[in-house]
Amino acid sequence: MQKNSTSPRYADRPEERNRWLLSGFAVIVLLMLCSFGAMAQSKVSGRVIDAQQQGLPGVSVVVKGTTTGAVTDAEGRYSLNVPRDGIALVFSYIGYVSQEVPIDGKSTINVNMADDTKSLNEVIVVGYGTQRKETITGSVVAVKGTDLVKSPTTNLSNSLAGRLPGVTAVNRSGEPGYDGSAIRIRGTNTLGNNSALVVVDGIPDRAGGLDRINPADIETISVLKDASAAIYGSRAANGVILITTKRGKSGKPQLSYSFNQGFAQPTVVPKLANAGQYAEMLNDLNVYELPVSEWSAATQGFKANGTYTRPNGTVRTAPYSPTDIQKYNDGSDPWGHPNTDWYKSTLKTWSPQSRHNLQLTGGTEDFKYLASLGYQNQDAFYKNSATGYKQYDIRLNIDANINKYLHVALGILGREEFRYYPTRGAGAIFRMQMRGKPNQPAFWPDGRPGPDIENGENPVVITTNATGYDRDKRDYIQTNGQLDFKIPGVDGLKLQATAAIDKLNQNNRRWTTPWTLYERGTGVDANGVPNLVASKRGPAEPNLTLGNNTQLNILLGLIGTYERKFGDHGLTALVGVNRETIQGDNFNAYRRYFISPAIDQLFAGGALEQNNGGSAFNRARLNYFSRIAYNYKEKYLFEFLSRYDGSDIFPQATRYGFFPGVMAGWVVSEEGFWKRSVPIMNYFKVRASYGQLGNDQIYFPGTSTLATYQYLATYGFNTYIINNAQQQTLSEARIPNPTITWEVANNADIGIEGQLFNGKIAFEFDYFNNLRTSILYPRNASVPRTTGLTLPPENIGKVRNSGFDGQISYNGQAGALRYSVGVNGGYAQNKIIFWDEAPGAPEWQRTTGKPINAYMAYQYDGVFATQADIDANRLDYSAIVKTLRPGDMKYKDFDGDGKITPNDQVRNNRTNLPLFQGGMNISASYKNFDLTVLFQGSAGAQQYISLGESGNVGNYLQEIYTNRWTVDNPSSVHPRIANRSDQYYSGNNTYWLRSADYIRLKNFELGYTIPETFGKKIGVSSLRVYVNALNALTLVNRLGSFDPEADNATGQYYPQSRIINGGLTLRF
Amino acid sequence: MIRPFKTISLALLVASISITGCNDNFVNTQPLDQVAGDAVWSDAALTEAFVTGIYAGLGQGGFNEQQLASLTDETIFTHPGRGITTITEARSNPADAGWINETIDWNNMYLRIRAANLAIQNLTTPKFANTNGIADRLMGEAKFMRAYYYHQLVRYYGGVPIIDKVYGLGEADYGVTRNTMEECINFIAKDCDEAAALLKGKSPAKGRGNELAALALKARVLTYAASDLYDAATAKSKSSAHAAFAQPAILGYVSGSRTERWQKAKAAAKAVLDATSGYQLNLSAPASDGTTNYMNIALSRNGGDQDVLFSRSFINQKPEAGGQQGLYNGPNGYHNWAGNTPVSLLVDDYEMIDGSKFSWSDPSKATTPYANRDPRFYASILYDGAPWKPRTADVAAKDPANQIQTGQYEVTSGSGKVSVAGLDTRRSTVEDWNGSYTGYYMRKFIDPNPAIVDQNTYQQIPWPFFRYTEAVFNYAEACIELGEDAEAKTWLNKIRFRSGMPALTETGDALRQRYRNERRIEMVFEEQRYHDARRWMIASSTLGRKANTISITGTLKAGKSVSLYRYDPTSYDYTYRVVEIDPGKENRAWLDKMYYLPISRDEINRNSKLVQNPGY
Repeated sequence: MQKNSTSPRYADRPEERNRWLLSGFAVIVLLMLCSFGAMAQSKVSGRVIDAQQQGLPGVSVVVKGTTTGAVTDAEGRYSLNVPRDGIALVFSYIGYVSQEVPIDGKSTINVNMADDTKSLNEVIVVGYGTQRKETITGSVVAVKGTDLVKSPTTNLSNSLAGRLPGVTAVNRSGEPGYDGSAIRIRGTNTLGNNSALVVVDGIPDRAGGLDRINPADIETISVLKDASAAIYGSRAANGVILITTKRGKSGKPQLSYSFNQGFAQPTVVPKLANAGQYAEMLNDLNVYELPVSEWSAATQGFKANGTYTRPNGTVRTAPYSPTDIQKYNDGSDPWGHPNTDWYKSTLKTWSPQSRHNLQLTGGTEDFKYLASLGYQNQDAFYKNSATGYKQYDIRLNIDANINKYLHVALGILGREEFRYYPTRGAGAIFRMQMRGKPNQPAFWPDGRPGPDIENGENPVVITTNATGYDRDKRDYIQTNGQLDFKIPGVDGLKLQATAAIDKLNQNNRRWTTPWTLYERGTGVDANGVPNLVASKRGPAEPNLTLGNNTQLNILLGLIGTYERKFGDHGLTALVGVNRETIQGDNFNAYRRYFISPAIDQLFAGGALEQNNGGSAFNRARLNYFSRIAYNYKEKYLFEFLSRYDGSDIFPQATRYGFFPGVMAGWVVSEEGFWKRSVPIMNYFKVRASYGQLGNDQIYFPGTSTLATYQYLATYGFNTYIINNAQQQTLSEARIPNPTITWEVANNADIGIEGQLFNGKIAFEFDYFNNLRTSILYPRNASVPRTTGLTLPPENIGKVRNSGFDGQISYNGQAGALRYSVGVNGGYAQNKIIFWDEAPGAPEWQRTTGKPINAYMAYQYDGVFATQADIDANRLDYSAIVKTLRPGDMKYKDFDGDGKITPNDQVRNNRTNLPLFQGGMNISASYKNFDLTVLFQGSAGAQQYISLGESGNVGNYLQEIYTNRWTVDNPSSVHPRIANRSDQYYSGNNTYWLRSADYIRLKNFELGYTIPETFGKKIGVSSLRVYVNALNALTLVNRLGSFDPEADNATGQYYPQSRIINGGLTLRF
Repeated sequence: MIRPFKTISLALLVASISITGCNDNFVNTQPLDQVAGDAVWSDAALTEAFVTGIYAGLGQGGFNEQQLASLTDETIFTHPGRGITTITEARSNPADAGWINETIDWNNMYLRIRAANLAIQNLTTPKFANTNGIADRLMGEAKFMRAYYYHQLVRYYGGVPIIDKVYGLGEADYGVTRNTMEECINFIAKDCDEAAALLKGKSPAKGRGNELAALALKARVLTYAASDLYDAATAKSKSSAHAAFAQPAILGYVSGSRTERWQKAKAAAKAVLDATSGYQLNLSAPASDGTTNYMNIALSRNGGDQDVLFSRSFINQKPEAGGQQGLYNGPNGYHNWAGNTPVSLLVDDYEMIDGSKFSWSDPSKATTPYANRDPRFYASILYDGAPWKPRTADVAAKDPANQIQTGQYEVTSGSGKVSVAGLDTRRSTVEDWNGSYTGYYMRKFIDPNPAIVDQNTYQQIPWPFFRYTEAVFNYAEACIELGEDAEAKTWLNKIRFRSGMPALTETGDALRQRYRNERRIEMVFEEQRYHDARRWMIASSTLGRKANTISITGTLKAGKSVSLYRYDPTSYDYTYRVVEIDPGKENRAWLDKMYYLPISRDEINRNSKLVQNPGY
């Protein structure tokens, strides 16, 4: 804090100020409770049926002009208390025409709802409010919680792929606890952080994000893709995801319980060479160590009898004789010649996961509650797994009308996320499965675990608790308090005060113990079984690391809105202010030399070489925002959004950014000429938006570490050994950039929306053109390293990203069969217009003009199949390889200088993120059956495949075995195998760069609702059973050996999950 | 109803004022884990912390998994795919220079040079009290480290841009040209002189730059400067790449007298010799336990640490890669990785203990090649039959004798004989893929303490950057080049006596050759050979040679029966055969471009004023 403060009383003591505010809030609540008086009411009930005379559940029944309402039950029945001054009931349900029925003193009102799939009255959550679909002027898409629960994933982010046009979700791993998808709204827009802002119940960027929110608690998710996000200006540049949780519904208490039992397995397990094939390949490698002139004879000798006599007279023995290979293949000698499938040895066929949800909702019109309890448990793919994820969550949402002016909404979420792992990470485990030598035993025939490749990393052991454990417990408490106050006397004027407090407490605990593997000893035991000897691996003695990390986010907000209709003129005005702070603290402690592996508490560790550390951080923001919306007859729509934001990421002088958004819409179908000339298109809207949005989330290049304080000349700490002790050191963290300021997204969007045949067909298309300017990036490419500068990000980059997205759906009905088909997709292509580029780079390697992170590679041009091919070669390869040998790869001489040099690498237009992602939704219901199917696909991504450590320390993909160049079968397409990628052609060329296009059956659900009559017998009002699946089937996988969403070239990662799940939902 | 609303309205008004606070001071957060630059230079302790931070550029010293030795005729690197063969097969290019260690890396050196420049700038007029001369000491350390990093650049890249200013952001032009070799050498020598003067009389803390280290650095640099490679005319005559190079002054002296340069080198080395006395260099006859003396120096203990003038320490409190030499280089039969393994070319250069040359063509030597060798051999190399630490529990039963096994041996099996591969070979039952290709393992710098199980325990052996012994060699070399053979021998024999080796008697070129071999053996694995072979311009006939290996077979003598193998000349006839490493494993070659590393393509793309080294 600066000393020259001009603030009033509490500027230097924010906590004091907060306390003041909170106590003020409490006083207000008390006052409101005192002033509340009961009002006279009458009861109305009835039944809502559809065209088939079936009871329609879930219909919202609201007393017109109030928030008082109820929802119909499974039979379509409802009952509610209507205030004496209640005039009419409004019945609404998605897919049906809303109806308004005057009450006129009736106590029973039955309604017949007519189909209306145009759903123009659907209410969409937008920034700081809601809007009807019909009047929205921005590009906003939404998905309902009821759709998301159909996906049996344990991570909400995995449910979004294929459901929302323009939103891509790429899942890189299925590891419990870290199985989220990377979500991008309209692709990649910046060289820095491309993550969207997640807003939960109006609060931006809550600790924990969206991944672990219980899908059963979600009412809707809306995505703001264009300037409509400008009201969140500061962090909205990459789009905004708005999550709204369910609120209580009035009526008698309704209890629902759902139970899901799922089973997961990897989507794709790479096919690897077996022991015999691997032995053949190691023999090949041994031959390739010889001069080329001896390859042929050596290969024949190895194949014939396992030996080869060299011209100099020495005899070379094959690593594996023909007898060895035969034994590997026929399995006759499990002790000496095992044939191990490491994936099979390590992974279960199916890994269980389960989820229980209990939800209670009810209340009166003036006091509604929703309480939700969730539990989930997710096992890992490993046998005897030490890995898993458990979650407990509770959510309580309360709404109270204190009187006709005051409404209070409270929400509290408690969640514990418990991640547990063995002490070796999934990277190491799957590295060892990929590498795992198939001619080593996972287990010896007597069941004891076999040896390792290195570091004791036999995957069948390091997946268990034999190595200790690594636990991560995160406890979140998130509270919302919101007070809506309608100013009496000023119609349409409302004040809203918000306080949200999020607390995270994270405890890490890592206990590493030595473990035992078994090596083949000498001789055999009395039974003739080979002797095994125990081998201690891992650390010399147990050690323990503890870590604690706490974070407190506080958001205080105040919003004023004025919403009124003046005849044909509709006006909404909103102004608000938000103050956000984050405080973080952490510490860690380490001890080794534990007296016994039996005691895993810190005190029991030795005093020698103990270690500890800790640190802290503060973050803060201050934001002002406004919305002005005007419409004329809801035909001409206009909206202006703005935000004035200050972020602690930037220095005082350049801290504030102003981010406006302008949007306009024209409901053409409301015009007389349209109604006359195009009557079949009952709804058609054209809209356009342009906005500037900000981004202050600067990451250090290639990391996800927030680059804070880039404007300050600060020095960071480390240690160095002086006089045999650690001494603190300092080094320049960076050279400061005092003028650093906001990155700006200039997002333009033009869209059309429409409906045909009264809603049978609905469509929506958008074209967008985003120009990101002032992108923060360091000038590493052009500033010579002789300067020694550690460069800060500067506002230098410019990236254009444009494309289109849209969806079209058809709703049909044939007898009792109701169905809908929807197709959606989004295409986005970005291009770097300017950033820091080395002045000397050749034109075809420049990144400017190419997509961000576009690949650069040598151009594969076949393989030198024979020595004759090499002799005929006229290109000079000496810059990259000393002597060409048969089976080497050919490269194109791109610059035509007759030499293959690094200048022959060419940058292409592809990255590891798809250009296009889309989905096709089919849903159908027939009598008591319902079915939803989601196909999802993506195109345009590329991914390297690398042999990585294949060779004498690691296995090869079976496709490599099958295709490889050999002396006997010289391929002109596929190269000779390399030992641990040691050949010039082992990487960085287009041969290894593969398309990652795919189409998969992402999700399906088949449900059956037990007939009511049966349900009544067992005391439930509704019972539905279902089966569903995630990643059920991959129909097209261009990547082949790995899951197409993989971004790990060597397959050394925890693969994506296929989940099959069965469940039931009971309502009482 | 009106009163509560008034209250509420007031409360909301107050709340809104609270939120905005009338000012936004709370947004001015401060980093809690860093310290402001201004604060550093007015506080002696923080300034010291900054200067200590400059040493971070030393990385792990020479104790990385890949070692510089494997780019020379000392060792070969076992594991493929690490960029080693890119260099040894002479196929480095500016986009792929091969394995470049952080202690060599251009970017890292200039990063640390900037830090030194920043310290020097701020210490010129220190803003804190010079209590006990702390400001002088820190200035001395900063100058020493700047000189050290420039010397790294110069010996790997040739003349480089001399940057002695502190760049800021947004300067108009960052382009710089390479300085001449002479300018670079003078700059380094001057920093060394100033550092030595500032550090004189300051009691040195282990790990910090000190007066002796500054003098030793100067001696090294001036010795290099006097050498063949640094003399443009000589380099031109011996290297085709240099002959075609348009700017010879960048890589060598184009004028001046070589004799004068040797005299300067001699004086600089003598300054070190006069300043201290090293370890066990006062003997008048060969020591009885040369192996122990030599190990004391390599392990920096029992007084051997007196020979080490500047080092990088490793302690268990802070586990770092440099503490894992045993794991990186130890035998696979101990679950170690056998990374840098000595080649036969090196082993063969160890003399017999009587000072004669070892020769495979002498049958008495060829049948017992590891007997009666230079005592330093036993401290530096693990060979077939060499005693070593106890094996780990799972292997112990296979080798109760705890001996290195790098051969192929016959053992009795039932009524017949079978041939088994030694535990430390590439046909071992233990992690064969990690076995040595050469039949030897590195022993020097690995703590022989059996309690240190190398696969999972760190050792605490420091890496020596400068040894007193090196200054002795530099002095002797200057003497030889100046024709002062007697003086050279006086000093060289001190080193030989300490090692238990007899005196040298040669003169002239014969003495020069003995000297060069002596330096090769004494300083083995210490990152000297890479530079010596270059500056003497003997690389094509030394580093360019094919690496080789020893093939050992043990055949049971008639009537002998052995069920569990151990090294035993009474039961076995051993045959030894030197074999070249297969070309598909590593096909060593020398091209004259390899005298210097290429300047990276990225850096030249950033700064077009840089001239690329010859041959690239």
